[in-house]
Amino acid sequence: MSSSRESILAAVRANRPPATALPPVADFGGEASVERFTEWLHFIGGQVVRLAPDQPLEDAVQQLFPKAVRIASNLLPATVPVNGQTTTEVLEAVDLAVLQGELGVAENGAVWVPEANMLHRALPMITQHLALVLDHRHIVATMHHAYAAVQHTGAYGVFIAGPSKTADIEQSLVIGAHGARSLVVLLR
Amino acid sequence: MNHPQRAAVFTSDAERTTWHDETLWFVRQKRDKAVYAIPEFQQLRQLASDIKEHTLSRLDEYLEQFERNAQANGVQVHWAADAAEHNRIVLGIMRGVGATSLVKSKSMLTEECHLNPFLVQNGIAVVDTDLGERIVQLREEAPSHLVLPAIHLKKEDVGETFHLHLGTPKGEKDPQALTEAARLHLREKFLVGQVAITGVNFAIAETGAVVVCTNEGNADLGVNLAQVHIACMGLEKLIPRTADLGVFTRLLARSATGQPVTTYTSHFAKPAPGRQIHIVIVDNGRTRQLGRPDFRASLKCIRCGACMNTCPVYRRSGGHSYDFTVPGPIGAILSPNIDLHQHSSLPFASTLCGSCTDVCPVKIDIHTQLYKWRQLIAQANELPAAKKWGMKLLSSVLARPGVYRFGGKVAREGLRLLPHGLTHATAFNPWAKARELPEAPKQSFREWFEQQSSIPTGQA
Amino acid sequence: MRNGQQTPMKVGLFIPCYVDQFYPQLGIATYQLLEKLGVRADFPRQQTCCGQPMANTGCEQDAKPVYRHFARTFAGYDYVVAPSGSCVYHVRKHYDVVEQTPEVQRVRQSTYDLFDFITSVLGVTELPGRFPHKVGLHLSCHGQRGLHQANESEMTPVRDGQLSRLLRSVDGLALTELNRNDECCGFGGTFCITEEAVSARMGQDRVQDHLQNGTEVLTGGDMSCLMHLEGIVRRRQLPMRVLHAAEIFNAALAQPSKPVSTFVPGAVVAL
Ligand code: SF4
Repeated sequence: MSSSRESILAAVRANRPPATALPPVADFGGEASVERFTEWLHFIGGQVVRLAPDQPLEDAVQQLFPKAVRIASNLLPATVPVNGQTTTEVLEAVDLAVLQGELGVAENGAVWVPEANMLHRALPMITQHLALVLDHRHIVATMHHAYAAVQHTGAYGVFIAGPSKTADIEQSLVIGAHGARSLVVLLR
Repeated sequence: MNHPQRAAVFTSDAERTTWHDETLWFVRQKRDKAVYAIPEFQQLRQLASDIKEHTLSRLDEYLEQFERNAQANGVQVHWAADAAEHNRIVLGIMRGVGATSLVKSKSMLTEECHLNPFLVQNGIAVVDTDLGERIVQLREEAPSHLVLPAIHLKKEDVGETFHLHLGTPKGEKDPQALTEAARLHLREKFLVGQVAITGVNFAIAETGAVVVCTNEGNADLGVNLAQVHIACMGLEKLIPRTADLGVFTRLLARSATGQPVTTYTSHFAKPAPGRQIHIVIVDNGRTRQLGRPDFRASLKCIRCGACMNTCPVYRRSGGHSYDFTVPGPIGAILSPNIDLHQHSSLPFASTLCGSCTDVCPVKIDIHTQLYKWRQLIAQANELPAAKKWGMKLLSSVLARPGVYRFGGKVAREGLRLLPHGLTHATAFNPWAKARELPEAPKQSFREWFEQQSSIPTGQA
Repeated sequence: MRNGQQTPMKVGLFIPCYVDQFYPQLGIATYQLLEKLGVRADFPRQQTCCGQPMANTGCEQDAKPVYRHFARTFAGYDYVVAPSGSCVYHVRKHYDVVEQTPEVQRVRQSTYDLFDFITSVLGVTELPGRFPHKVGLHLSCHGQRGLHQANESEMTPVRDGQLSRLLRSVDGLALTELNRNDECCGFGGTFCITEEAVSARMGQDRVQDHLQNGTEVLTGGDMSCLMHLEGIVRRRQLPMRVLHAAEIFNAALAQPSKPVSTFVPGAVVAL
C-alpha cells in the first residue's frame, strides 16, 4: 500500500483526542401512520395513491399514467424489458418505472429501494416518472426505525423522498431536476 | 484584498445585499420550522456531536476498518496526503481506464483540491452536474455556499449565462424553464460520462459503504451510467455504524434547507458487475487540525451550510468575500489551519454573536473557535499594526486606573468641544461613516458618584 | 432572597469604561434602580475595564493585567453587577487564561448582568411603575446566547426572557413584535470599525425592523449595542429614542401605578 496511507494513519494516531464513548443507537419513538407518511410525501412534492385491496396494479397505473408508453417494471406487464445489462439509450427512453418499495418513513415520506428492486441501478433516476409500490404495513416512524429495519444497506440502495428537485436558481423550487419528474407511491 | 474590503464591495450594492440577506434568512426560517417540529432535535444534535467526537477519538481504527470492508466489497481504496496527490490519483484512475470525460456531482473536497483546473489542464472534459455547480462552472466562478453554490446569482444572471452557453432565448429568466434547459443539456453529458465523481456525506466503517445525499439525483444518475465511480472524501467523513445514519440523516437536510430529508440518500457499497468503485481518502491538513485541541471539533462538520444561512455577516457579505473554498463561519475556522497568513482576516469577520454555534447540527463551538483563532493570529503577529499597538496601549492604560481616568476625560472633553466635522471625519473615524458618535456629557458617572458620596445616605 | 434584616449584601457596580464617560445617565439609572430595589451598591473607584476589547481583537495576552486588576478591584464584594451582558459574559467565559486564584474564581462566579441579578438573585420578576410607550427590545447576543438570559430563536419559537418579562410587567408598556427577534446588531466591539461596511448595514437593518414595527423607544440590556444603534438612529434622524432598559425601569418606578406585589421589602421603603 502507499506510503501516504501509513503516514496519514500515523498522523491520526499521533493526534488522536482522548477516547470518548460511542452513544447507544437512538430511538425516540414516533408516529408510524399512513396519514403522516402521506402528509410528508405531499409536502415534498410526491403523491400517495391508496389501492383498493382487489384492484389490479395495471389498472391503477393505467389510470394515473394514461400517456406512458414505455414502461419498465417487474410488477406488471412491462413494455420495455430492463435488466442490469440494458443500454443507456434504452434506459433513457423509459417514460415510467413501476418498482417495489420496501419501507416507507412517516417523518419524511422517504421510501427505501434496494438494488434488487431496481432492475437497473440507474432506472429509478433516469426514468421520467417513478411509481413505487409499498405495503402500508411497512411504514415506520423515523429514520432510526428505517435503518433498524433495513439493517444492511447492501451493494447499493437509496432512500427516495419525492421527485427530483432543485432550488439552485434564486431558491425557487423546481420539480424535475435530473431524476424522475414525478413520484407516486402506490399503497397496498 | 481582505474580507472587509471584499465585503465593502458587496454591500455597496444595497439592493442586492438586501436580496441576498433575505433569501438566506428565508432558508434559515425554513430550517427553524423543521427544527421546531422535532421535539428531540436538541438531543439529536448532542448525539451527532458525541458520535463524531467518538469517531475522531478512534479515527485510525475506523479508517482501517472502513478500508478493510470497502476492499472486501471489491472497492479500490486510495490515500492522499494532500490536494496534489488526490488530483494525481484521480487522473491516474482516469488514464487507467482510458477515459477523457467526467461527470461530477457536488464535492467540496474536489473544490478544495482544485481538481477541475488540474484535470482540464490534463485534457479531461469535466462537467459539474449539480445545477448550481454547473452554473458557476459555466461562469468560471467558485461556489459561494456549501449547499447553494449559486446563491449569489439572480435568475437574470443565470438566464444570461444559459443564453451564452446553452442557447436559451435571450431574456429567459424563469427558473422552471432554465432548469429544464439544464436538465436536457446535462442528460446528454450523463449519457456519455465515462467516469463519475461524487463527494461523500458519510462513510460507514462497519460496512465500507459511502453515503451521498442529493436533491437532484445527479450523483446516482452519473454513477449508475458510468463505468467507474470515484468517491472523494476527507478522512473526517467516517461514522462507525449504519444505525448512526438515523441521527445524521434526520439532522442534515433539516439544518441545511428545512427539508425533512434529502430527495436521494444513496448508499454505495459494491460496484455493479463489470464496473469499478474507487474511494480516495484525503488528509490535506485534517490530521494537523485533529492535533489542535482547540480546533479539532471543526472536523465534526457535516457541511450543511446552516452556519452561513444564519450568519448575519455572511448574509451581507456573500460567500466570495471569504475567498476560501468553504465560506462563512465554518470556513473562517477551517481556513487559518490551511494558511494563517492568507486568511487572517476571516476569524475577524464575525461579531461573535454565537448564532452559528446554536444552529450547528453537530454542536461545533464555532464562535469560540473564532475567538481562539484571533488569539493565535495576534500571537503570530498577523494583526494589522494599528490594531496591535492600539491594543497594547489600551491594555496598559486599563491596568492603570489613574491614567485611564485621565484618558477617558480627555476623550470625552475632546468629543464635546471639537467641531462635529472633525470628530466625524470618516478618514480618521470609520465609525462616523454611517453613525453618529455618542453625545458627550459634561460629567462622567464617576464624577457624579463622587458627588453623591459626599451627600448623606438616603438622598441619592 | 436576602434583605435588609440580614447583613446587607455587598454589591459592587461595574460600569464599563464607555458608559462611565459617555452614558453616565445609565450608570446613575443602574445605581438608583438597585437602590429602589433595596440594594445600595458601591462603585469601587479603581475599576477600569473588563478587557474584552483587547481580547476580542486577539490580544488576550496583553489583557491579562486588566483581568487581574478587575478581580482585585471586586474581590471584596458578594456580587459584581454590570448593566452590560457582554462584559459579564467576558468575565465568566474568558477569564480562564489567568491564574484561577480563589479571588479570580469568586469574582467570575459572582459577576452578574443587571437584569440577571434582579431576576435570579433578588428574585424580582415584575416591576411596578408606568411607561406608556411602544418599546422595541434589542436582545444582545452575549446576554442571550452567551448567558442564556433569553430564549434563542435557533432553539425554540417561544420568545421569552428575563428582560422581556420585566418590561412586560411595566404598566402601559407595549413590546414591539419584530420580524427578526434576535438578530445581531453588528456592533461586535472592534468589528464595528474593522468591518465598518457590514457592521453599519447590520445596524441599519435592525433599526429598520424596529421602525417598521412601530418602536418608539428602542431598548436593551447592553449599552454597546445601543450606542451603535443610536448612532444610526441619530444619523438618520429617525423618530425613535434609544434608552437602556435600566433607564426605562428607573423612570417607570418614579411613577408607580399599580400595587407593589412580588417585591423586596427594601424597595417599598426606597420608593
Ligand atoms: S459547521 Fe455546523 S452548521 Fe456549519 S456547515 Fe458544518 S455542520 Fe453545518
